[in-house]
Amino acid sequence: MLEFDQVTFGYGRVPVLREVSLTIHEAEFVALVGPNGAGKTTLIRLGLGLLEPAHGTVRLFGTPVRGWRDWGRVGYVPQRTSPDPVVPMSVEEVVRSGLAGRLGLLRRPDEDQRRRLAHVLELMGLLPLRKESIGRLSGGQQQRALIARALVTGPALLVLDEPTTGVDAAARAVLTQALEHLVRRERVAVACISHDPSAFGSLADRVLEVRAGQVVEVAGAAAGSSGPVTPAEPLREERS
Amino acid sequence: MTALGFAFMRKALIASTVVCAVAPLVGIFVVQRRQSLIGDGIGHVAFAGVGLAFLVGADPLLGALALTVVAAVALQRMRRGGLGGDLSLALVFYGGIASGFLFASRTGSGANSLLGVLFGSSLNLSWGQVGAVIALSAAVLAVVVAAYRPLLALCFDEAAARVSGVPTEGLALTLTLVVALVVVGGMHAIGLLLVSAMMVLPVAAAAQLARSHRTTMLAASLIGAASALVGLLAAFYADHSPGASIVLTAIGGYLLAAGAKRVGRRRRGGQR
Repeated sequence: MLEFDQVTFGYGRVPVLREVSLTIHEAEFVALVGPNGAGKTTLIRLGLGLLEPAHGTVRLFGTPVRGWRDWGRVGYVPQRTSPDPVVPMSVEEVVRSGLAGRLGLLRRPDEDQRRRLAHVLELMGLLPLRKESIGRLSGGQQQRALIARALVTGPALLVLDEPTTGVDAAARAVLTQALEHLVRRERVAVACISHDPSAFGSLADRVLEVRAGQVVEVAGAAAGSSGPVTPAEPLREERS
Repeated sequence: MTALGFAFMRKALIASTVVCAVAPLVGIFVVQRRQSLIGDGIGHVAFAGVGLAFLVGADPLLGALALTVVAAVALQRMRRGGLGGDLSLALVFYGGIASGFLFASRTGSGANSLLGVLFGSSLNLSWGQVGAVIALSAAVLAVVVAAYRPLLALCFDEAAARVSGVPTEGLALTLTLVVALVVVGGMHAIGLLLVSAMMVLPVAAAAQLARSHRTTMLAASLIGAASALVGLLAAFYADHSPGASIVLTAIGGYLLAAGAKRVGRRRRGGQR
């Protein structure tokens, strides 16, 4: 589904990732953990074509990411830098904005898309809050709205960058439950970045640690093998 | 109403109201991207365009339009080239004002014509200029209506929008270009230094009270139009500068909205 083949990347002369190879399979929950600045976000941005690798290939659904066009099959929730928008946006507007790439200019959501919109709002427990401004919601509710936006196109792969930042324990439990439903019932593959290894420990099929430019499997409950998945050659400098 | 008995007031009212109703429709996206000063930067470039037009004997509107389009593309390229938003804007900002004054001083243009361009001279508009304002505003409106959803996605979260298939690069350039159209459209009616205020202030006022993007957008447009109407009539009866009067009215609108929000919070037992 998402495949890194010998991917190397650096910012200028500063190496960040080196010869990383890993695959995320269908309906698999992969937790990417590691300290701040280890390169977790860089890895994900490479996977989504937001960065170009210096060497190696990234494939989405078997297609090199540079040539990938069917972005509706991928949902992405970046790490949040500002908790609420300057201009009010209702929860429904935020979630519907996920359809913009599919709709293009002037087209309105069709019946299926409207049904999907209602479904993801319900799945994330946001149906009663759909008319509320997202800025008035709690951190956990905001995060669920952003995940709903990423899910509105019905993606097969969902990528989450630090979804539990600013989210309390109770809201985290709700989020975990929703993600579990997605992976187990809707067969969505999830790649989830967290600096906290315990954040989704029970849900993760595999826990991969990004460390010194490499990706090392530290727990593999369902997917089998453990141990390094890239050459264990440390880098002198790292940057996220 | 006495004011409407004068043709110059009718022209001023039409042009100012149209520009001030349309400007927030673009401003809402600019504010959302935290680029509230981009209109100011482009206004300074438009000033250079006016100066250049004076120098070569062309229509100031065309001069402003040509240079602002160039500046919009240059701003986009500078950002992509690694110059941060503030720095690229500053370069355009200062380059524009310096070039504009240089060009204008070379032609010996009077202070009045320069002040009219910078702070607006809506009472001196010709019907041709009113028509140009309406045409530019209609073009802006058409772009905003057509690209509303992608623009919303871009401005809410650019990275997520890009991954969802929105052509973010082209869309960001389009947004800068429509900012340029608003600035040029408002040049005579509101003034190059004040028109960007009408992109931002009505949005700031509407955002105090609205819960959704769409409501904020519509309310901001209404606040913009009302500010033009009230500000222009106040300027007429009090013999003030129309552009400044309109902007100060919009600031009054913001203060009213912020006050109403505070009262609403107190009534609901909220903080403050």
